[in-house]
Amino acid sequence: MPEDLILSMKGISKSYPGVTVFDGFDFDLRRGEIHCICGENGAGKSTLIKILSGAHSPDKGTIFFEGEKVQNLTPHSAMSMGIQTIYQEHNLFPLLSVVENLYAGSQISNGFVINQGMMIAKAREVLEYLHSDLSPFDIVGRLSSSARKTIEIAKALIHESKVLIFDEPTASFSNVEINRLFEIIKKLAQNRQSIIYISHHLDEVFNLADRVTVIRDGQKISTYDRAELTEKQLIHDIVGRDVSLFYKRKSVPIGEEIVFETRGLTGNGVKDISLKVRKGEILGIAGMDGSGRTELAELLFGVKRAESGEILMKGKRVRMRTPLSAIRHKICFITEDRQTTGLFLKHSLLRNIPIASYVHTSTPFALPSQDAKVSRRYVDELSIRTPGLSQLVMQLSGGNQQKVVLGKWFASEAEFFIFDEPTRGIDVGAKEEIYQIMVKLLEQDKSIIMISSDMPELVAMSDRVIIMRGGVKAKELEKAEINQETILTYAIGSLVK
Amino acid sequence: MRLSTTMRRENTPILLTLVAVLVAVFLAELIFVRNFDFGKVAFIKPRNISNVLMQVSTTGILAIAMTIVMVSGGIDLSIGQMMCFIGTGMAFMMRVVALNEWVAVLFGIVVAVLFQVLMGFIISRTKLEPFIVSLGFMSMYKGFTYLITNGSEITIEGKFTFLGGTYLNVTNQLRFGMPVIVFLLLEIIIWLVLRYTKFGRSVYAVGGNENAAYLAGINVKRFKLMVYGLNGVFVAIATMVLLSRLGTGNPLMGDGKEIDVIAAVVVGGTALSGGKGNVWGSLIGVLLLGCISNALNILGVNPYWQYVMTGAIIVLAVLLSYFSGQRSSFAKGGLKKGNTAELKNAAQH
Repeated sequence: MPEDLILSMKGISKSYPGVTVFDGFDFDLRRGEIHCICGENGAGKSTLIKILSGAHSPDKGTIFFEGEKVQNLTPHSAMSMGIQTIYQEHNLFPLLSVVENLYAGSQISNGFVINQGMMIAKAREVLEYLHSDLSPFDIVGRLSSSARKTIEIAKALIHESKVLIFDEPTASFSNVEINRLFEIIKKLAQNRQSIIYISHHLDEVFNLADRVTVIRDGQKISTYDRAELTEKQLIHDIVGRDVSLFYKRKSVPIGEEIVFETRGLTGNGVKDISLKVRKGEILGIAGMDGSGRTELAELLFGVKRAESGEILMKGKRVRMRTPLSAIRHKICFITEDRQTTGLFLKHSLLRNIPIASYVHTSTPFALPSQDAKVSRRYVDELSIRTPGLSQLVMQLSGGNQQKVVLGKWFASEAEFFIFDEPTRGIDVGAKEEIYQIMVKLLEQDKSIIMISSDMPELVAMSDRVIIMRGGVKAKELEKAEINQETILTYAIGSLVK
Repeated sequence: MRLSTTMRRENTPILLTLVAVLVAVFLAELIFVRNFDFGKVAFIKPRNISNVLMQVSTTGILAIAMTIVMVSGGIDLSIGQMMCFIGTGMAFMMRVVALNEWVAVLFGIVVAVLFQVLMGFIISRTKLEPFIVSLGFMSMYKGFTYLITNGSEITIEGKFTFLGGTYLNVTNQLRFGMPVIVFLLLEIIIWLVLRYTKFGRSVYAVGGNENAAYLAGINVKRFKLMVYGLNGVFVAIATMVLLSRLGTGNPLMGDGKEIDVIAAVVVGGTALSGGKGNVWGSLIGVLLLGCISNALNILGVNPYWQYVMTGAIIVLAVLLSYFSGQRSSFAKGGLKKGNTAELKNAAQH
């Protein structure tokens, strides 16, 4: 029944320099249906939204909206056609009132003067329809995140949107708020509005969906009707990669000594985390975006302070007040976003590599000759490909930039490594080099905590895996138990408890 | 070795501008004023050179500290008014309170450092813009100055002439005043500090990427306090030099100085966004602006035109360094690669 399709995408391809996100992607959306999209972090869900909302244009393929071919979609034309996206981060003006936000950029007016009364009346009507107790005059910045989501939905209604795209809408919502949102979404669907709902919470998917599409590595894997869908099948489709493609890591004997331990660590959005890392071991930390993995790492490195619980190094209790105290304890943190928190992009390798090593010298001096020696040593040791030490870091490739970050921590004599997404945005060859470096660290009796969203990476590299969900430790897996399905089952919170 | 080649490359455009301006001024004077009488060209006379150096020394001293402040990502608009405040305050202590001149000066230094540390404290503990915070302090200092002086100047009657009145005579024409010697000494000291100490590394690191600097174990808050404290010391020294030369605490003695200083530092290649710049560039910037105003005097240009010329030179110098910076990153494919990395990042999210 092709006539009930409101939107369809045919043969969409999109690549960014060095990364192909979509290759021949097909998708269709019926009028009045709730269509859930599932996939791992980085599977291409966000890119799909960007294409539909006109933020990015596809390299190849066509989009049909209400049967007509759409060309040169821009954010503005997408909105005026009736495609409204409700993003993860809020796109509202915090200092303006609800009504001003609802009509931002499209005020009702007679050409000269804004018709405030009409806007307020319409805003009231829509808020009532959504069973919201918000007033049109509330200042958005003072409202909770669920109230703001309601405003985004109200905005879509006011603009008479035909397609609403929700991107992980329930992050940081309470159960009551989630239920209320679901009621609204179901009501919209009954009203013949079409919903694209992106989520990595299985219970939400099973609660809402009329149909479910799974994407993985930029390909559509499958589309199911709600009735024919099983949880097992869904998880299998989300992760199902050929195991033979995984990196094969050399095994390193794990020592008895517990190098690093936390007991009941709480704060910064994580609760009661206890973990142990032994000498020569990689402890993998899995979980979806927003599950509290990076927040945990921030506690371990002293970026944020814990409210309760303790951290022990080699059996002795230590306090992480600031990154400085963590570095003094020979801990290092390879952050997820190396460009904004790991590197001095506009500076040379000479200024980047030695920067954390000054912590260990007691004199106030820093000699350029010493800097050059240290930089040279780690450029050689990590085979960083650069024309020279005075090359600016921003001119290096992603893989080499990551090695500069590692060089910085090697120079600081770190012994305990916290990697957050160690190979994000790095090409395949450089990925393997990073893995080899990690194994080499283990051979030198160092230990690693590795946070990763990359399933093959977690499975291939970890000796044990802790899975986080909603800020708590959902499960710990021993080496033999580690596989993609099990990790994902706990990460997205299986229905079968 | 490599750091110094980087520095030289950074300073090349401004150095070339300075040379071009010097040659142009020399030729202009030779042709239009002196009718090709080489012997009469005043601009290159040792006496004039001594003069120019003396005139730029206060701005130069302030520019050294402002370079540190700006490279580390801050800015301070209050230095001009602080000079007025500290300068008239020192004069008040000498004349009205009749303190020993060195005690009065020491008192001024302490007050300057305290106020700068207070400002640094506010800037480092909050996310407030240094621009705005220092603007507030600027107005306070102006008020203090008028409270002290009631609007009239306080002469120090022959006291404290050591800095302003002592000269090192090289020939009987070429002589270096104490202010020039102090300026050059401080220049060398800070150059060495930036090059050979952890503090120097922190200046560039915090200015380049404050988050990354914090995560690399730099105590950013304490560091900012130190930067502004140091700035206070330099403002006090510059004030001493000027007070000693003028022999009077004038409520307008530092008025507008912050503009000259920031202009010189920016012309000298320091990025307003931080992380880039060095004290030699600022020195050249100071000399460039000083030479221009001196040359316009010699050439007999209407003084009102001097503002126009100075402004034009500032814009020109900044444009020059902008284009030379762009060319070098194009040559290395820097912009292209930077874009790629950004796009890759975008693809991940």
